[in-house]
Amino acid sequence: MAERTAPRVTRLLGLVTYLERHGEATLATLASQFDVSEAQIKRDIELLWVSGVPGHGPQDLIDFDPWAFDEGVIRLTNSQGVGQVRLSPREAVALIGALSAAVSGGAAPEAAHSALTKLRDAVGDGDAVRTLTRFRVDPELAATLRDAIDAAVIVELEYVDANDKKTSRVIEPHRLVVIDGVTYVECFCRRAQDYRTLRLDRIAAAVPGTDPVVTRPNESGGFSLVPKFQAVVVAHRSARWLLESFPGTSIEDDGEIVTASFGVADAPVMAARLLGIGPHLRSIAPSALADEVSRQARAVLAAQA
Amino acid sequence: MATDPAERLLNLIIALTHARVRMTRAQIRSSVVGYEATESALSSDEARRRDAAFERMFERDKDELRRMGVPLQTVVDPTHGDEIGYKIDASDAAMPAIEFSPAEAAALALAAEYWQGAMLGPDAHQGLTKIASATESVPRTPLTLGARTSAASDATATIVDARARRMVVQFEYTSEGSGTLTRTVEPWQVLLRGSAEYLYGFDRDRNEPRTFRLSRIHGTLRAVGPDGAYEIPRPLPGFDWGGTRSERNATVGLRPETGHTLRQRGTVVGVEGDWDVVDVTYRYADALRDEVLGLGGMAKVISPTDIAADVRRYAEGALAVAESTPVSENG
Repeated sequence: MAERTAPRVTRLLGLVTYLERHGEATLATLASQFDVSEAQIKRDIELLWVSGVPGHGPQDLIDFDPWAFDEGVIRLTNSQGVGQVRLSPREAVALIGALSAAVSGGAAPEAAHSALTKLRDAVGDGDAVRTLTRFRVDPELAATLRDAIDAAVIVELEYVDANDKKTSRVIEPHRLVVIDGVTYVECFCRRAQDYRTLRLDRIAAAVPGTDPVVTRPNESGGFSLVPKFQAVVVAHRSARWLLESFPGTSIEDDGEIVTASFGVADAPVMAARLLGIGPHLRSIAPSALADEVSRQARAVLAAQA
Repeated sequence: MATDPAERLLNLIIALTHARVRMTRAQIRSSVVGYEATESALSSDEARRRDAAFERMFERDKDELRRMGVPLQTVVDPTHGDEIGYKIDASDAAMPAIEFSPAEAAALALAAEYWQGAMLGPDAHQGLTKIASATESVPRTPLTLGARTSAASDATATIVDARARRMVVQFEYTSEGSGTLTRTVEPWQVLLRGSAEYLYGFDRDRNEPRTFRLSRIHGTLRAVGPDGAYEIPRPLPGFDWGGTRSERNATVGLRPETGHTLRQRGTVVGVEGDWDVVDVTYRYADALRDEVLGLGGMAKVISPTDIAADVRRYAEGALAVAESTPVSENG
């Protein structure tokens, strides 16, 4: 499908503004700055070149230096007074919202904070969106991981898994990512010989090593919280708040009773959360999830005798 | 051959930027490259068809301009009757120069991933294009920070547009207390919180500020009524998320080498058989109950006893349902 109109015109105006502020630039520079191919930049320049004020006389058109163009250098000679337009309210919210979500856990580098401040100042009406922090990470731990990522060295971790088992692992950290307000480190775990997404609040200790990171970041973005099966849970509506907090859940509301369908990535973790609405549950399917709930419930009752 | 829509829109922007006072629709149609001008030789049917085609095209282009964030001004000139004219004020429209360092530019790029698949996704990309045109060319540094959400709602984009124009929004909403009702709200702010998005605004029916969880909206959220229908208070009144409870003390039993998150905010005060006895602080009884339930028998509450009883009650409830669920998945 052809590129939509608004994104292309936004780039066209961007090229004019960029060239006005920086004099001239090569096709390669412009392609990398705007994240499109050199061929696309060439088509963009050719379109700009035939555009102008009504009348379209020789003085009315956006103009470039034709000799430089033949050498692959774009030199703007007449902008006709147009240029990039300020961020729209939606663009501002998209950028500020994402950045504020990324810094909310406290693990983001200083550059993310300063970028957010500059953005909010630039749009004037910067408080259209705000992120409320749910879980704050240990700043020292976050700094250790960030430094290791920047230096591309391994980290030795004490990690408490979802079943509360403490393990030692050596990871190759690739990046920090905030998913639904929880901060994780995307990494390659040398012990598991696979990619992992580990919660920072489950890391009990982190010591940077000197061994270099040799794996590349996971192509799929490293998100390993992929659902393994679909579950259907029926509960009294007073448990709705929990069910609707599950990622990707769909809820049917039948007055007093709600039916939630959702993907389960980790049955023990999901079972533990369902215990938290125990008295409100009506049914649990499939048995893979129900069995895990009953196993954990029996263990709790044995302990809390 | 029809003109490329991008070319027409670009010519329209240039023309409206250069308009001394304003341009009427007729002037736009006859002079901007890409619109089909009227011709006197046409049959009246054909002329009407072309008029309608122009109106549709121009409305679409105005939507595109709004989508790009171009502030299109409407100018009524009393000496020319009531016909509306248009212009763009270049200084009002311009993107301010912002200097982002390479690290800052890399951090901004995460917005594209955050809104991937959501209605604000194209807006994030377009915003990044605008940032690229206003900043120094930067060496691309790899992204070492990311953010994602599973909650991005299509209503968010509509709320943001409505808020920018100070239009009220209307939607069907289900709450625990009052079932499903139509709500009319003056949008103040979009709140992102974990795996949920909220609208914070003034509820006209309740006559007080409220928060609305966007996933509880049924059907479509619509902007209604005129522009400029309300003002946003500065500063926004605070709201209660229930985070004001003071800390209390509990005693829990933890199996050795378990319950690390509880241990982190507690003190081991003794040993009873196979249990480490740990004093911990807590704010909410239900949060402590859930934490102990979540440890699958590796933890128990010693005091307060009402939380201990709750732990049992919740486990018994879950057990009864889990073991009564039919074994056959097909039945």
